[in-house]
Amino acid sequence: MSSIRREFVKILFQKRTFIGWGLLFIIPFLVMLAFRFSSAGPGRGGGGTADVGAMIFTQVRTNGIYLIVAALLAMSSFFLPLLASMSGSNTVAGEAESGTLRTMLMQPITRGRFLMSKWFVANVYVAICVFLLGLGSLIAGGAVFGLHPLKLFTGQSIGVAHALGLSVAAYAFVFLGMMCVVSVSVLFSTLTNSSLTAAIGGLVLVIVMLVLGGFSVFDFLQPYLFVHHFDAWTNFLSSPVQWGPVIKALINFAVWIVGTTGIAYWRFRSRDILS
Amino acid sequence: MTAEKFDMAQEGRLEHCEGKPVVLSTHGLTKEFGSLRAVDNLDLSVCRGDVFGFLGPNGSGKTTTIRMIFGLIYPTSGYVQVLDHKVPAQRTSALRHLGGFVDDPMFYGNMSARRNLRLLGEMNGHVTEERIAEVLDIVGLLDRGDSKAGSFSHGMRQRLGIALALIHDPDVIVLDEPTSGLDPQGMKDVRELIRQLGAQGTTVFLSSHLLHEVELVCNRAAILSKGHVIVQGPVSELHPASHAVKILTANQSKALEIIRAMVPAGGVREDEGYIIVDSGDGFVPEMVRRLVAGNVDIMAIVPAVEQGLEDMFLELTSTAEVALPQAIGRSRKGGRL
Repeated sequence: MSSIRREFVKILFQKRTFIGWGLLFIIPFLVMLAFRFSSAGPGRGGGGTADVGAMIFTQVRTNGIYLIVAALLAMSSFFLPLLASMSGSNTVAGEAESGTLRTMLMQPITRGRFLMSKWFVANVYVAICVFLLGLGSLIAGGAVFGLHPLKLFTGQSIGVAHALGLSVAAYAFVFLGMMCVVSVSVLFSTLTNSSLTAAIGGLVLVIVMLVLGGFSVFDFLQPYLFVHHFDAWTNFLSSPVQWGPVIKALINFAVWIVGTTGIAYWRFRSRDILS
Repeated sequence: MTAEKFDMAQEGRLEHCEGKPVVLSTHGLTKEFGSLRAVDNLDLSVCRGDVFGFLGPNGSGKTTTIRMIFGLIYPTSGYVQVLDHKVPAQRTSALRHLGGFVDDPMFYGNMSARRNLRLLGEMNGHVTEERIAEVLDIVGLLDRGDSKAGSFSHGMRQRLGIALALIHDPDVIVLDEPTSGLDPQGMKDVRELIRQLGAQGTTVFLSSHLLHEVELVCNRAAILSKGHVIVQGPVSELHPASHAVKILTANQSKALEIIRAMVPAGGVREDEGYIIVDSGDGFVPEMVRRLVAGNVDIMAIVPAVEQGLEDMFLELTSTAEVALPQAIGRSRKGGRL
């Protein structure tokens, strides 16, 4: 526990931590203002499925709950992966860069415990990002557009409490997807002494997966790429919830998270620290 | 002066430490980076209470050795032992008995010196505010304890590094060139501090490329070259057993003539205007009598000990290697390669 607390203290002493959190909290307010003061809806944002996006963005002004969903749709394809990648890549490579990695590892802590504490805190950071995005959307949407019963894609209407519950599930799901990005970036972070290289490595992997998704030739690969499953949260907005795609996505995420973190752990334990 | 002569002087006194326990030792420690053998079969032993000098030119493997002592890098073969704990096998338990830094000590720049000591010190056990103030005071940083470590100069970071090394009162502190890059006053302060630590019974393992520094603060030393230990033993015995003197006279050529008649050819040479004679006890009075008898006015006769030490260091660390004397020349200027 103490090593987790120590890593958490470290990120609290970095300005970028609060910049990231602040941005995610404020972005829903900016989106709200854009809807509030423009006559026509804005262009479709994000890379979500076309019909879902179109439906959500045309209805935001009628119901604040749509803003909660719209913010998630807009942020989950690029901005959240960007923050997740930065968070994960900063873990080992960031300390190597500043020369503090050797200072840390000259104290009596096992490499494994050090790495796992870092991994954990990098994920907590992203969890707080996702939470603040939801909280900002709830406040911005609720205050300006009000919270009303939600009409699902499948036609049924659900109450506000039920809709908020589904939103929480959707946000939690997206967080699990982001854990894949964090874990991949932590792996890259153990392989290089430059946190920028590691962050770009994580992002490039996300982008390559997105690009592969655009070619039908690579369709056979789709089920294995975690990015392909990011949109599965929209299944929470059907009644009844379509669990099939959600479960497939969760299995995929678990394999990526455990796999990449396992390789990072194995690699870091045997590596020479020359920074 | 040859390496063999020193090795003979060492025999039988390496391990026993005159009854004191060996607190830090390396056993056949070897590290290869690709085809480069950075550290080659290193056997060191540091006794409790030693201020042990780890002397060698830049690039001789000092930092690589220290990284292996702390378990930052894995030996290709061999191991380090700290009291009963082997590194890397029992790294974390060994580290509880070790403090120190390798290379330039680095800290969390956004945090105060005090918070850095708390954060890093607590990894070794409970740390009180009093202890933090105490170690800051020892290194002369008490009034800067609340400044951010990021604002510290190189010299201040070296001191903070020593403060962190001391915080859990370890059995051995290992300092990697703690005076490198400091101004003369800073060097003097840090050396004085190390001497005091030694006087209080703290075991110190001090790496340095400065012979002079090791002579000043250490009681035992090892000289490293190309990853090998060439000499290891009490600093007093690292001195060449030399009776060499430097002579300056009004007529150097005539003096040289007279002296050459007294000693074998290899015993006399000229350097920077002086005649340097390396000969046995009782030689000097006889030489003076003959010079006076030959009407040569003597301006000065001084012991050439410093000269002999420098020569020895150069000779020892440059065996069959042309590039090394240049490296030492650079290191004398205080720069790091």
